[in-house]
Amino acid sequence: MSPLLEVKNLSIHFGGLHAVDGVDFSIERGEILGLLGPNGAGKTVTFNLISGVYKPTGGEIWFDGRRIDGLPPHAVAALGLGRTFQIVKPFPTLSVLDNVLVARGVDRYPGVSSLWTSWRSKKEVQAAMALLERVGLADLAKRKAGLLPLGNLRRLEIARALAVGHKLLLLDESFSGLRHEEISRLETLIRDIRLDGLTVLLIEHNMRVAMGLSDRIVVMEYGKKLAEGTPEAIQRDERVIEAYLGRKGEADAS
Amino acid sequence: MQLLIEQILNGLAMGSIYAIITLGLALVYGVMRILHVAHASIYTVGAYAGVFIFHATGSLALAFLGSMLICAILGVLIERLVYFPLLKHPPYVPLIASIAVMLTIEEVLRLLAGPQIITFSARLPFPDLDLGGIHLSSTLIAIYVITIAILLFLWYLTTRTELGLAMRATSQDMPVAGAQGINSHSIVSLTFIIGSAIAAIGGILVGIYYNEVYPTMGAVPAYKTLALIVVGGMGSVPGAVVAALLLGLAETLLIGYLNVPFPRDALAFVAMIFVLVWRSEGLFGSK
Amino acid sequence: MSGYVVTILTQIAIQAIVVYGLNVIVGYAGQISLGHAAFFGIGAYSAALLSTQAGMSFWTALPLVLLICALCGLLLGLPSLRLKHDFLAITTIGINFIVQAMFLYVPFFGGALGISAIPRITLLGEPLRGTHFLYLCMFCLGVVMAVCWLFTRMFAGLACFALREEESAATSMGISPVRFKLLAFMLGTMIAGLGGSLYAHYMRFVSADDFSFPLSVSFLAMLVLGGMGTLLGPLVGALILGALPELFRPLADFRILFYALMLLLMIRFQPGGILGESSLIRKRLLPTFLGGSK
Repeated sequence: MSPLLEVKNLSIHFGGLHAVDGVDFSIERGEILGLLGPNGAGKTVTFNLISGVYKPTGGEIWFDGRRIDGLPPHAVAALGLGRTFQIVKPFPTLSVLDNVLVARGVDRYPGVSSLWTSWRSKKEVQAAMALLERVGLADLAKRKAGLLPLGNLRRLEIARALAVGHKLLLLDESFSGLRHEEISRLETLIRDIRLDGLTVLLIEHNMRVAMGLSDRIVVMEYGKKLAEGTPEAIQRDERVIEAYLGRKGEADAS
Repeated sequence: MQLLIEQILNGLAMGSIYAIITLGLALVYGVMRILHVAHASIYTVGAYAGVFIFHATGSLALAFLGSMLICAILGVLIERLVYFPLLKHPPYVPLIASIAVMLTIEEVLRLLAGPQIITFSARLPFPDLDLGGIHLSSTLIAIYVITIAILLFLWYLTTRTELGLAMRATSQDMPVAGAQGINSHSIVSLTFIIGSAIAAIGGILVGIYYNEVYPTMGAVPAYKTLALIVVGGMGSVPGAVVAALLLGLAETLLIGYLNVPFPRDALAFVAMIFVLVWRSEGLFGSK
Repeated sequence: MSGYVVTILTQIAIQAIVVYGLNVIVGYAGQISLGHAAFFGIGAYSAALLSTQAGMSFWTALPLVLLICALCGLLLGLPSLRLKHDFLAITTIGINFIVQAMFLYVPFFGGALGISAIPRITLLGEPLRGTHFLYLCMFCLGVVMAVCWLFTRMFAGLACFALREEESAATSMGISPVRFKLLAFMLGTMIAGLGGSLYAHYMRFVSADDFSFPLSVSFLAMLVLGGMGTLLGPLVGALILGALPELFRPLADFRILFYALMLLLMIRFQPGGILGESSLIRKRLLPTFLGGSK
């Protein structure tokens, strides 16, 4: 079975800067791949390339047998790829439930006749509430999203991404700024998601979480792939240690 | 040929006046990101204050100074009472407020001074020149000289003084500037004072140049200057000046000289659309 | 009802229709539009030309007027795809000026003289005047309100809301900004065009002066005051700002000044609109009526 996502020699430069430079990796169906690296390594840029926010200047991206580099974000989403954002982006004046209902419409928006159906039907609301239950936001369904604290907003991001990404989920620092109990709750949720057959690519700064959740890890530095392997292998990889500690050393010295 | 040169000179004068008015708008947009359409009515107030002070005292110098003072006060009042409290709202809110202010000022002027055109026949203390058969009136010379003086003043202010540095910092990023100890609100108010005083000068120059002062004289420049700051690149003062000069030339030459059958007042916007298509941040703007 | 009241209500009804169109563009899809008078004018001129040049009745011309407006909305909505905020605001002002200039200078539109002798609307053989015409306008207003209400309940409307709230999140959910922004412009222009058509047959004369930038400001002010994105906002806004000048009529020469001051005060102190989120009415009066907060 071919990998769900394949990134081949992916590059993008902005001005003179190669934010991503010749990166290769792939993700198998049902696995959780962690994308790690120091700040500025190009992880979120890679996400943006995969989800269509940026157009690569070189290389290819294949998703479920289709080439998707250069497609706009809404087209990529329609193929079953959902994502969260590092800086949460709720629809502030809409309720939590409505936020998810928007995501539920992912199959309708590309069509023509499908646009003219009601979005608050019983079926849709039930499905959206089910997603909210999974992330533990069901009792906040009617609350205006803009009023929620960060932890809840991160869960809302995931609920929305789940509605869209029935094949692949891109999670961008979803554990950032969360409290301890929230983190373990979220870890359980992601493991559950994988049990449902979804594939997950996550960017995460929290090492313990990243190592604990990921089946495999890809480490990036300065836009290039530095290392790839199981969590154990990565932890022992000298180049990786150098990349993180070396940075830390610089920071200590300055 | 002579006609062409005269038209070019007229065009440059026209452009200089646009530049003077647009400058204030660009400065304000630079520090506050507000489309201060009411700026054009401050310019009208400047013209009225100038002509009345002149008729009362006979002194053009007093007219300029008094008018600049009145406009500076008016400008900063508008900023403090109307714009600043509305900053947290979406941008069309201060825009509508600005238009309402402009309308209010126009009406007050009309009610106080009457709707008729008031003449402003004054002689600016500059010589008339005759160069190779081309006549340059003292007013024309005054416009060029004063515009250059204003530009030099602004250049010196923004690049050579601490105040100017503070202004540039505030225009880049208000909260960061605030963190540096710059009182950004004071800087903003000061920018309004400077911009409004410059508008006053523009109003008086226009009043003398066309020998006309009337309540709605700000209406047409109000919207053209919007197009000009877009073309120039929003908060960019040099951009605004270049755009203004080009527009003045284009309007005079294309329509006055070549007699292209095109509505003069729409030219600014058509030019703007062309520039935006080519370069969506304007001539001197940054992304 | 006196003839005077009928006239005022008719004007308010027509303006409300136009503002509902603006509400779709600005309130639902979050695109700034300061040139809405141009769309109003396109509808009016289309209706005027089709009835005087092609001899079509209001009814037979209407689908064509709507089609023309939809196409113009599509075209004039294109800037919203590349420009944002202030750039877009100024561009829409420019569109207003340019469209108006076209009406004034292109001979086809009658130039400075405009188009006159536009026939009245006839229904079942009878020309509609006065109160009957008002009923027609109110009927159209009702239809427009129903269309808007339905739109907000459909995925098309939801997509527009999402774009307005947070465009990048919306695109990550399959919402194409191009599609839905242009859809909003098309719908908004069509609704404004309906208002324009009614206007043309009402005034029986249209000229470029009727569709200038101050009118666009007026429409936007009505929308903001009534409450952007709400279902009743355009109606409330049109009622208030439409009735105000009439209430101020006894003030004769001071009318415009009071109108401007009223507008300034309202926008300064209640910029969210009368029916908006943080307005006095929502916070104080409605809870009293409805008993407790939501």
